[in-house]
Amino acid sequence: LTVTPCRLSSNPDPVACLSAHHFIAATACHEAEYGRQIRERCLRPFKLSMEGIGQRLWCDWDETMGTYGELTNCTVAVAENLTCYWPNRLVDEFFVAVHSHYFRNCSPSGRALRDPPNGILCPFILVPILVTLLMTALVVWRSKRSEGIV
Amino acid sequence: RASKYCDETGNWFRHPESNRTWSNYTLCNSFTSEKLKMAFILYYMAIVGHALSITSLLISLAIFFYFKSLSCQRITLHKNLFFSYVLNSMFTIAHLIIVVPNPGLVKRDPVSCKVLQFFHQYMLGCNYFWMLCEGIYLHTLIVVAVFAEEQRLHWYYLLGWGFPLVPASIHAVARAKYFNDNCWMSVDTHLLYIVHGPVMAALLVNFFFLLNIVRVLVTKLRDTHRAESNMYMKAVRATLILVPLLGIQFVIIPWRPENRLAGEIYDYIMHILMHYQGLLVATIFCFFNGEVQGALKRQWTQYKTQWGQRRREHCSTRSTSYTATSITEVPVYLYHHDSNNEQLNGRYVDDSELVALKSGETSA
Repeated sequence: LTVTPCRLSSNPDPVACLSAHHFIAATACHEAEYGRQIRERCLRPFKLSMEGIGQRLWCDWDETMGTYGELTNCTVAVAENLTCYWPNRLVDEFFVAVHSHYFRNCSPSGRALRDPPNGILCPFILVPILVTLLMTALVVWRSKRSEGIV
Repeated sequence: RASKYCDETGNWFRHPESNRTWSNYTLCNSFTSEKLKMAFILYYMAIVGHALSITSLLISLAIFFYFKSLSCQRITLHKNLFFSYVLNSMFTIAHLIIVVPNPGLVKRDPVSCKVLQFFHQYMLGCNYFWMLCEGIYLHTLIVVAVFAEEQRLHWYYLLGWGFPLVPASIHAVARAKYFNDNCWMSVDTHLLYIVHGPVMAALLVNFFFLLNIVRVLVTKLRDTHRAESNMYMKAVRATLILVPLLGIQFVIIPWRPENRLAGEIYDYIMHILMHYQGLLVATIFCFFNGEVQGALKRQWTQYKTQWGQRRREHCSTRSTSYTATSITEVPVYLYHHDSNNEQLNGRYVDDSELVALKSGETSA
């Protein structure tokens, strides 16, 4: 008999708490129902909102933060209603699916810009340096010659 | 530094209030208020530094333009150098005042702020390439041509004003294509080395030229052209002090210490080195220059004697004018003859004033 599952968000029925752990697991949370409810009540407004933002800005955390937070809170609320443990396996899978659909192409640091690869960066840096050295040599040579002295 | 605690039973740490799994992000913005304060201090320090630089550089330019006796080719190069520093400081102040405190403008990202950044990079290049021109000029003067005075300055103008367009343009193109952030403000990119690389190369080349000059002055000319080598040693000394000072900021820029206090000290030193450069250049090349100080002293004593003489003459003309009214006809040439005193030109002026007074009295 463990008491841990009882310290969930808000358990309306304290009597049910005193039952055995497996009994609570069997009666309290229908996983299929949970999955259906979060897809209907949470995912649908999230989809609409993301389409309103536009695909170009899906990787911009400033834009998507609000609606993503709402999605999270919605899953928590549904978990509370169905007296499910939160977070749980279903929620994890759900969010993995959301991420793989909406945030697949985002770089780990968000829309932060990156330097070009070294193959492009190095010529860009080395060429001005070489041109500088050449130009310096040219000026030294020309001012030497304009003296008329060898 | 963010952290999340996992206890022995395999559960993530839950915050006591909301009872949800909670990650600790408090360290990420714990020092924000102090960092903000320091950022403001550095910001105002930069603006003050550039304003002081512009003031001292304009004064130096005025001195160089006023005293025609100082003009020589080296001073011409100094004038160009100071002018490029003035423009650089003006662009930096414009950037600091218009773009930096204005997140709305940065978010809108107009083309004009990128153009401003382009000119900023160009002027930075100009600064350092004019320093290089000074070094090349001294090198040609001392090592190559051995004190022959007149060189043609066209190539120096090309290197100083024209060439920095090349790195600045390449940087603009690369930035627009690969790292097109808002207003090109980010300093986190290696693309900045497109401009800083040539600048460092110029400083290095300059430093080697100056070392070569010192070597030549010390070894070869000590016996033959002693007086001249002394004079040129003084000229080289100023440039030799400046080049490492200007260059050191580029050497230590990549190594910001991790420690918070050391990082703050590093920031202060870097800001002083970067933003007070114009003041340093004006001081070393103009205010500490022996010839400039001599010219200023001569002008000052000249003014003082003119003032003193004018005051004395003014007092003496008063007494003589009362007596002059009693004399009716005095030939003008007598006064001119008497006052043919070449030492003090102020006296001649006052004598002619006396003549005018005299003729005014008689005509009235």
